[in-house]
Amino acid sequence: MSTVEQTPPTPGSGGPPSAPAPRGHGSGAVTGVAWTVLPYVASVVLAFLVGGLLIQAMGYSAVDALEAVLTSSFDSRFGMVETLHKWVPIVLCAYAFAIPLATGKFNIGAEGQLLLGATGGAAIGITFSDLPAVLLLPAMLVAGVLAGALWAGIAAVLLVRFRVNEVLSTVLLNFVSFRLIDWVATSVWPDAGAGHPATTPVGDGARLPLIGEAPGLHSGVLLVLALAVFIAVGMRFTPTGFEMRAVGDNPRASLINGVKTSRLAGAGLVIGGGAAGLAGAIDVAGVQGRMLEGMQSNFLILGIIVGLMARGSMLALPFIAFGIAVLEFGAGTMQLVASVPVEMVLVIEALILLFLLLSDIVRNRLRGAA
Amino acid sequence: MTTAPRLEMTEVVKTFGPVRALDAVSLQVGAREVHGLLGGNGAGKTTLMNVLFGLYRADSGAVRIDGREVTITSPRDAIELGVGMVHQTFLQVDTYTVVENVVLGTTLEGGSHGAGLSAARARIADISERFGLHVDPDAVMEELPVGIRQRVEIIKALYRGASVLILDEPTTNLTPQEVDALFTSLRTMVAEGMSVILITHKIRETLAVCDKMTVMRDGARVQTLDRAETDADHLAAIMVGESHGTYQAPTVTEAVALGTAPQGTVVGDVPETTFEPGVSVRGMTVRNDHDVELISGFDLEVGKGEIVGFAGVAGNGQVELAETLAGVRPLQSGSITIDDLVLSDRATAQWLDAGVAYVPEDRHRDGILPTSGITENLLLGSHRSARVRKSGLIDWRAARQRAQEAIEKFAIRADSPATRAGDLSGGNIQRVILARAFAHRPRLLVLHNPTRGLDIGSTRFVYEQIREVTAAGCSVVVISEDLDEVIAIADRVIALYQGSQAGEWRSDRVDPYEIGRRMTGLGTSVGGAA
Amino acid sequence: MSEFLTLVVPMWVVFTLAAQGTILSGRTGVFNVTQEGVMALGASVGFVVAYKMGSNLGGLLIAFAVGALVGLVLTVMTTQLRLDQFVVGLALFFAATGAAGLLYREVIGVTMTPPKIDTLTKHEIPLLSDIPVIGEPLFRQDYVFFFVVLLSVGLYWFMQRTGAGLNFRSVGENPKAADSLGINVNLARTWSTIVGSGLVAVAGAYFPLHFTGIYTDGMIAGRGWLVIALAFLGGWRPLYVVAGAAFFAGMDVLGQKAQVIGLGVPHQFIEMLPYVATLLVMVFAFRWARQPAHLGSNYDRESRLAG
Repeated sequence: MSTVEQTPPTPGSGGPPSAPAPRGHGSGAVTGVAWTVLPYVASVVLAFLVGGLLIQAMGYSAVDALEAVLTSSFDSRFGMVETLHKWVPIVLCAYAFAIPLATGKFNIGAEGQLLLGATGGAAIGITFSDLPAVLLLPAMLVAGVLAGALWAGIAAVLLVRFRVNEVLSTVLLNFVSFRLIDWVATSVWPDAGAGHPATTPVGDGARLPLIGEAPGLHSGVLLVLALAVFIAVGMRFTPTGFEMRAVGDNPRASLINGVKTSRLAGAGLVIGGGAAGLAGAIDVAGVQGRMLEGMQSNFLILGIIVGLMARGSMLALPFIAFGIAVLEFGAGTMQLVASVPVEMVLVIEALILLFLLLSDIVRNRLRGAA
Repeated sequence: MTTAPRLEMTEVVKTFGPVRALDAVSLQVGAREVHGLLGGNGAGKTTLMNVLFGLYRADSGAVRIDGREVTITSPRDAIELGVGMVHQTFLQVDTYTVVENVVLGTTLEGGSHGAGLSAARARIADISERFGLHVDPDAVMEELPVGIRQRVEIIKALYRGASVLILDEPTTNLTPQEVDALFTSLRTMVAEGMSVILITHKIRETLAVCDKMTVMRDGARVQTLDRAETDADHLAAIMVGESHGTYQAPTVTEAVALGTAPQGTVVGDVPETTFEPGVSVRGMTVRNDHDVELISGFDLEVGKGEIVGFAGVAGNGQVELAETLAGVRPLQSGSITIDDLVLSDRATAQWLDAGVAYVPEDRHRDGILPTSGITENLLLGSHRSARVRKSGLIDWRAARQRAQEAIEKFAIRADSPATRAGDLSGGNIQRVILARAFAHRPRLLVLHNPTRGLDIGSTRFVYEQIREVTAAGCSVVVISEDLDEVIAIADRVIALYQGSQAGEWRSDRVDPYEIGRRMTGLGTSVGGAA
Repeated sequence: MSEFLTLVVPMWVVFTLAAQGTILSGRTGVFNVTQEGVMALGASVGFVVAYKMGSNLGGLLIAFAVGALVGLVLTVMTTQLRLDQFVVGLALFFAATGAAGLLYREVIGVTMTPPKIDTLTKHEIPLLSDIPVIGEPLFRQDYVFFFVVLLSVGLYWFMQRTGAGLNFRSVGENPKAADSLGINVNLARTWSTIVGSGLVAVAGAYFPLHFTGIYTDGMIAGRGWLVIALAFLGGWRPLYVVAGAAFFAGMDVLGQKAQVIGLGVPHQFIEMLPYVATLLVMVFAFRWARQPAHLGSNYDRESRLAG
């Protein structure tokens, strides 16, 4: 009887896509899409309604606040570039959560993996700062992926060999990573002039090329776009992707049918860690130019929210991540324009998620009644 | 007797979504009466009793106890009205002791918790004595065998002062000896004025112990009869559905499903053939989940086209045996070979490739991907084979095509290949699992309780499929807790007791009582295969 | 030694209180993972109320009420609507984290120096507090400490020594069995989660009210997650949790004092201690730690599984 490894709560609501069976004949596909999209729309509208009421009750203008949240990404080139720069770590941290979730495992450690990825990338970028970009940039990104994967690998080994619950191990490793990068930023490559624990800048060859006029969009966005296609195809069409989803659906049935379940669960965590590590390395190479404390922002929470909202669809995930990136960028503007604290947006995002979960109940009742 | 019957249910209706599980069912049970509730699976017997016990809420209908109309909305109501129920899966807390399980949910008498438990112990001893239900009140539940755990369930009901006791398929995991003892206890209870309702699908059992019987089919009551005015053939006819008076004697498979197969005689065609060697197990040693060596030095030969049946009480190594033969559980030592191909020490996927197919006991837990479609479920296990892949990627169009064909060939009742496996009925899930197993062109087929919970149609289908693969030379191992089933379909019967072979018989020369003795560790161990 | 104990005991209060709240609902099968957020919310509420009302007890009580409210939402969504406990827990963790910062910013605003409140006063038990070494840390404490001691003993007595406790625990072990014997599964889950979540929030409120006198974002620093680990390691039993909390508190204090201790290792590595030690203990824990059989799974009376 495994004990500490509590039976993983089956991701019933967060699990694989549960597109309702098409009802009726000709319009089956259309109805199916409508049944899938409608809950999202309804949840967003409801969450904004509740959020708006809260804002109004707190004495601010809900209209001003929500308008700032929703439109500031699209008001200027700066807004769009910043939004896309936020999108990159959000979508990668969402993969960091959603890929292990496909196998039924919860990775709550994306921020630690991101920080380690940033540290690994920065280490290469600082140590070999004289190398040309063709060599340095790929090496740095690979180092980021490896560092993130390795960090998640600790949790994977603890899970597979010692049956340590992955929720706790990944979470606790976040807090270990905070101390670790604090040491790196204050003792190994400290930048005394930064006024905040940070490493010295990486070499010029370690910076991602910018696209277009200033403010430039870093090319990591394109890299992640390509990766998104790759992941969506991989999960749907490769035998390994199929096995991961099978394990997430029923690990025992998968085991009996020849799937190496514990190895896959471990692999899912490692791949997820690699995604988060890439987020860290790209943030160093494209945005920060160095590793600094606090760069993980709240990407862990955002990644989980996006990963849960995607409900196992790797196709939907980048789009949902974009929506969340818009809200996150808008949050800052909201605080400036309507002086509503930024935390309001986190509350709204949590509400969207809760309403989305509730929509399952509503939909099942409707289907039952039909 | 002119007084009102002990229990009267009238026109009870219960629907689950679109399914009408109970269609205006009525039932009358008198005092001092064992009443059999007879029918195949899905007939609605258990649903009707769950309504009586307050687990399900009926849509309409009335319940009267001793002539008084009552409303039962929860088990608590039922218990207070003197209704007790022994469920098919025991509702017990494994980590509690017997006495703790018995007093659970009651208010203890006596000043303190400890004193209350002592008083309860005394009452349990009294109940045990009166009805011949002997248990150790301080034993921890999870350490007790099935037969004892069932006694605890009955004691639980009696402790609460049940005057109407419902038993749901109580004999499933019992040896013939234990069945006899249970029936004796039931007769003692009705002699003391109680009423007993026995849910069963076995005609022989109803005839052995019941005073009256009600036959159900498709959620409706068909007929209520007196023991004196019926016999096995008559009951079988009513159960299977005597349409337009053209009743024909049940086939062998139906007879097995109904429990009317005569005992100790030839059932099915068992030719005096010897089989070509196929599967060979030598010195197999296996550990259970707690790292205890459960099976040691196990030898077994299964010929091509032969069906070997293992009979035993649940918990005697069946799961371990099945999983090891299927390549899911590793051997500690020994070997398993098919046609001289050594399979032990290989990964499960390679067993599948070699033609080993497994139909697990727990269909929901071990058999299917519940939230995936039939297509995905049928693909599982062969998803790495070249047949389903186009330039390295899975060809979903071809997979859907194959699923559609399987749905037709195996008569799976589903809207489309995209229907989620978890939404299918038990019988259809079993068909999906069989379709997957047979897609591997099996050379060794391992089945564990393959027909448990299935209706007659699906049961017959499973037996037909088994016979079909044996005709093609597949070796078959059937592990079942249903002794009748093993005797009927196997060529050879082996009794399994604590992980070893406690006896072996040709299935045309068996005595169920002898198997029962060996299954429970009585008599000398034979060991090894002939 | 006495000095070290004086530091450990208040941290023990935090871990014990939050872990007892966690096992209370865990024993009925509700796996609560909102601790990190609810403790932050408790800290924020506790501080804001104490600051505005000038009453620390008021801060604790209202923190309890707000935590209980989160528990109510969790239990309604999981017992009534049967949504996945872990996923709902995560969503509530986010919402509570957001609400904690939101409330503070809304009431206090952004200030150069954070406002401060008076921490809880300590009460001395005569004679006992004069015992050398342990007297001072154990018998000169604020009332929350004494409450936690009573709560732990009370919970132990209730769960292990009463018929009601027997019924209560059965809900987490086998809800179907409990239900069939007339025990109200949803009711037990509802009140245990409400009370348990309230206790977790009080543990959070203890930070500003006992340690710091101020509220800062992130002051819980992962202790909410450590509490879940503690519940697992303590086998979901009140007395084991009491002992385990002492270990967690000791590690916590060591980590906090890293810079003072020195030892020749960079202080960051000593600060990792509580987390690394927990991971190491969990490696061995699966051999002995037990958990309620139905922890984390919802109960549906009319669920109809064939077979």
